[in-house]
Amino acid sequence: MGRVRIVEVPMALEIPVGPQHPALHEPLLIKLYVEGEEVVKAEVNTGYNHRGIEKLCERNTFYRDIFICGRVCGICNTVHANCYVRALEALLGMDPPPRAKYLRVLAMELERVHSHMLINAVMAEVLGYETLFMSIMRDREAVMKAKEILTGGRVLADYMMVGGVRRDIDEVKRDRLLKILDRVEERVRYYRRVFEDDPTIAKRLMGVGILTPRDIVSHSLIGPVARGSGVKIDVRFEDPYDAYPEIEPLRMVTRDEGDSWARMMVRWDETLVSIEVSRYVLEHLPQGNAVPDERRLPRRFPPGEAFTRAEAPRGELTYYVMSDGKPSPYRVKIRTPSFNNIINGAFAFVGAYIADAPVILVSFDPCISCMERVTVVDPESGAKKRLSLRELAVQGVM
Amino acid sequence: MAELPKELAPLREVAKKVYEMKVGRLVVELEPGDLLRAVGSLLRSLGPESLYLSTLVATDLPQQGVIRLDYHLFVIPLRRIVVLRTSVPRGGPRIASLLKLLPGALSAECEVYDLLGVVFEGNPYLRRGFFVPVELAEKGVYPLRKDARV
Amino acid sequence: MVHTFLKEVLKNLFSKPATIQYPREETQVEPDFRGRHYADLTKCIGCSLCAIECPSKVITMKPIPKELAAAVPKANRRLVFPSIRYFGCIFCYRCVTICPMNAYVVTNEYRLASDKPLFSDELSLETLRKAPGGRDEH
Repeated sequence: MGRVRIVEVPMALEIPVGPQHPALHEPLLIKLYVEGEEVVKAEVNTGYNHRGIEKLCERNTFYRDIFICGRVCGICNTVHANCYVRALEALLGMDPPPRAKYLRVLAMELERVHSHMLINAVMAEVLGYETLFMSIMRDREAVMKAKEILTGGRVLADYMMVGGVRRDIDEVKRDRLLKILDRVEERVRYYRRVFEDDPTIAKRLMGVGILTPRDIVSHSLIGPVARGSGVKIDVRFEDPYDAYPEIEPLRMVTRDEGDSWARMMVRWDETLVSIEVSRYVLEHLPQGNAVPDERRLPRRFPPGEAFTRAEAPRGELTYYVMSDGKPSPYRVKIRTPSFNNIINGAFAFVGAYIADAPVILVSFDPCISCMERVTVVDPESGAKKRLSLRELAVQGVM
Repeated sequence: MAELPKELAPLREVAKKVYEMKVGRLVVELEPGDLLRAVGSLLRSLGPESLYLSTLVATDLPQQGVIRLDYHLFVIPLRRIVVLRTSVPRGGPRIASLLKLLPGALSAECEVYDLLGVVFEGNPYLRRGFFVPVELAEKGVYPLRKDARV
Repeated sequence: MVHTFLKEVLKNLFSKPATIQYPREETQVEPDFRGRHYADLTKCIGCSLCAIECPSKVITMKPIPKELAAAVPKANRRLVFPSIRYFGCIFCYRCVTICPMNAYVVTNEYRLASDKPLFSDELSLETLRKAPGGRDEH
C-alpha cells in the first residue's frame, strides 16, 4: 500500500514583452518567465531592426559614412558623428581649431539635455503619468529649437565634419541660445523636484531593479546605469576629447542607491550639469574659424586604425575605424551603449514583478535603433521594407 | 615594443608584442589560447571590479587568412583601454569564451558569432539569427566576411 | 507632495494649448533651417561633385535643354545640371558645401509633402530662364 505523494511544480509562465508593446518604443522581444508575479528568468531577443550599417560603411566613402553613421540613432546622432569624425581625424593626424571643439561640445551637450528629458518623460508615461510626460515634452521643444538654431536641424544635426563643424554661430544666435538655456534650466529644476517629491514616482521607482557595482562592472553596463550605482565611469573624464578638459563646470554625477529612481535622478542631475556646460561654452567661445573648407579635405586616407570613445547620453559609445589606403574604410565597428546595457542587462529583471519590467527597461534607457542599426526604406516605393542584406549590398545604397 | 605598466604585469608572460593604437590605446598581442588565462590573471590581480569588456572588434582579413579579434578592455584603476589582440584562422575560427569570467561578454560574442562565424567555446547562448535576418542565417552566410555575397 | 504638480496641471488646464495648430498657425522655422535647395545654373559648371558625394545618391546629372544653354557658364562643357530627387534626399547639405562654385541656393522650405515625386529640375531651370541673356528677360 503505497501512498502517492503529489508534488505540485508551479509552471513558469512565459510572457513576451514585445516586439509590439505599448510600453516599448522600438521592437524588442523580452521573454519573461514568471511564477505568479515574480520574474524568474529573462531573455532578450533582438534582430527586429538590424540594418547592416557596418557593411554599408565599407561600401561608401569616408565622408558619406559621416552622414550614415550620424543616422544610426536619431536621439544621439551628434555623438555618433562626432566619435566617427574624431576617429577620422586621428587617422589623418588632424586637430580641429579650438572654436570648433567648443561648438562640438555645445551640440553634444544640448543633445544630452533633450535625450535625458525624453527618457524621463518616457518613464513618466510608462508609469501612466501622462500629464507629466506631456509637460516634459513641451519643455523639451525649447531644446529642439536651440538645436535648430545651432545646427540647422531639429533632430538630425549633420553638424560634424573632419576638421571642425559645418556652421558657425554669431552674437545674435548666441544670445538666443542663452535665453533658451535659462528657460530650460528653470523647468528642469522643477521637474527634478517633482521626481524627488512625488509619491507615485517614489512608490514605483524606489527599490526597483537594484544593481550592485560588482554586477555592473562584470556585465559591462555603462552610462547612467552604472553611475546610478556608484561606479565612477564617464568617458568625458577618462578620455577627455574635444573641449571637455577646459570646461570647468563639468562634474561626474553618481548616486549610491542603485535602483531605478537613482538612475533617473542621475539623468536629471546630468541635465543640469549639461546646461551649465552649455552656458560656459557660449560665454567662453574662443575666436577663430570653426568651419573647414570641405573641398580641400583629402579623399584618400592613410592606412591605419583608430579607436575612439565618446559619452553618449546612454553611456560609452565606441568606434573602431580601419583604413587600408582606399577612399572607403576597410572596417567600421560601432558599439553603442544600448548594445551592452540591454542585452547584458537581462539579469536585472530576475526577482522583480511583472509591473516593474517596463520600469527597469526604461531606466536602462533603451535605444533599440542604436543597438541594432536597422530599417532600410526603399526609395522607389517610399515604403518601409525589410531589405535583406543581399539587396542592400547589391544596390550599395541606403 | 612599448612598456607594460606594473598593473598589467600578469600580461607580460603572454604578450607577443606591445604597441600603441590611436588614440593612446595599449595593444597587447597574444595567442588565442592565452586569452582566457590573461584575462583571468588580470581579474585576480586587480580585483573583480577592475575591468570590463568595452568592445570586441572582429575584422576579417582574408589576405592573411585570419579573423582578427580585438578585445578592448577598460581597466578602471589605470583609466585606460587595453586591447588584447589575437587572431584565429579563417578556416576554423574558434576561441575560448570569456563568459564565465566576464558575463558582459555575452552581447559581443553573440554578435561576432552571428556576423562573422567565430565560435566561442563555452558560450551556450550562441545562435544564428541573433541579429542577421533569418533568410541569411539559414543559408549559412556570415555577412561581415569580405567574401560574403550579401 | 502631490500638490507640486497639481498646481501645474490646473494652470495648464486654463491656458492655451501648447500645440501649434498647424496648418492654421504657422510653425516658427529658422531662416537657416536645412530646407529645399537647388542648383543655380548660372553658376554651376557641371563638375558632378555633388552627385558623386551625395550619401543617398539622389542627385543625377541631366542635360540642359538647348534653348536655355545661352546663360550657362562656359566652363560647363557637357551642359549638364544636377537634379535632386527630394523624396530620397536627407538634407545633409553635403552637395551645398562641396560645390566648388557655391552654386546651391538654400531655403528653409520644409513643406515638401506631395503625392507625386518631387525634383529640383524646375527650380534649377528657372534660374536660367530668369538670367540676363537667358530666354525670359524678367
